Amino acid sequence: MKTCLIVDDSRVVRKVAARIVRDLRFDVMEAGDGAQAMRMCREKMPDAVLLDWNMPVMNGLDFLRSLRREEGGARPLVVFCSIENDAEHINEALRCGADEFIMKPFDADILESKFAEVGLV
Amino acid sequence: MQEEVFNELADLALKSSGQAIPKSKSYLIEARLAPIARREGFGSMADLVHCLKSRANPIFAAEIAAALVSKDTWFFRDRDCLQRVVEDVLPKRLKASNTGRLKVWCAGGSTGQEAYSLAILLEDEMPPALRGAKIELLSTDICKVVTEKARIGRFGHYEVQRGLSIRRLIKHFTRLETGQWELSEDLRSRVSFRQHNLLESAHGLGKFDVVLCRNVLSGMAKPARKRVVESIAEQMMPGAMLLLGSGENLIGITDKLEPARDFRGGWVAAGTANAEASAA
Repeated sequence: MKTCLIVDDSRVVRKVAARIVRDLRFDVMEAGDGAQAMRMCREKMPDAVLLDWNMPVMNGLDFLRSLRREEGGARPLVVFCSIENDAEHINEALRCGADEFIMKPFDADILESKFAEVGLV
Repeated sequence: MQEEVFNELADLALKSSGQAIPKSKSYLIEARLAPIARREGFGSMADLVHCLKSRANPIFAAEIAAALVSKDTWFFRDRDCLQRVVEDVLPKRLKASNTGRLKVWCAGGSTGQEAYSLAILLEDEMPPALRGAKIELLSTDICKVVTEKARIGRFGHYEVQRGLSIRRLIKHFTRLETGQWELSEDLRSRVSFRQHNLLESAHGLGKFDVVLCRNVLSGMAKPARKRVVESIAEQMMPGAMLLLGSGENLIGITDKLEPARDFRGGWVAAGTANAEASAA
């Protein structure tokens, strides 16, 4: 089974996203900030990362830059998930190595559609 | 919903658009008519039906009938099919027609995502064989409001995130201050929109090389399906193809069309499928 790391400082968002992602037949890991997510990736690189932008300790963008520099860090498909949904922010996320971008709020249809877009489902 | 009220509205849907709404789906009627009921100040569906029966207002009745039809659609719905239309069906049609012109009709195209998806594909992934061709895209829907929304080309937060990749979104759309996303003027100008009831003659729309009538027939009663499909068949140029949604077929509906040999879900004029296959 594929693994998906959900990185968001909101426990509610993680809970909602985890339920949807499990329904898509993923094993789910959760992290509350970028630094914790980085530690988890070093232990076991996930197949997918659903990544929030604004988080304490290490934000999503810094996490993504670090991830892509890690050994094996080019492999996970990263779907940004943020309320920062203007073209400038979206372009910045893509430049940093995001594969897709979800504009919050989202629902199961959107998440499945975006995962399908990058070949995760 | 009271049985009498359901029967009136289901009957209206059947007569006006061929929709067969079973009693088990009466919630669809309530959901689809709720905006009109709110706007008109009706406290219940029974009040709405009472108004329909007591006031002979064909415009209002037509609005109700159009609202009862499903509008569910999204960008790149069944992407493989759209991709094959662009990569395979259209180039073959262009080669066969020798006019340098192709006409595509999205019948029952709702808010335009299917036709716009084709326009986006033709812009981003134009096959060499289609370069220089004049490709006309028409999308029709029974509902005037929906047709107008499609023409404007503005889509909401949820609509642009169903089926559309983020790269295509930021390449072809602009975010408005309202939060909506507007398709580029260039792509909008490549699709025409017209209000059209598929139960009525489509002679005025002209003849087409490809007709997409996807996920439309499945909600219709059998006699309506026959009428719609035979009306579409009359608008197909020789060698043209009709594409239905996955799971939809015309077996037992009409003998005017038969399955295309080389395209699953494609239907061509009866007696031509073998000829097409051997010509290819």
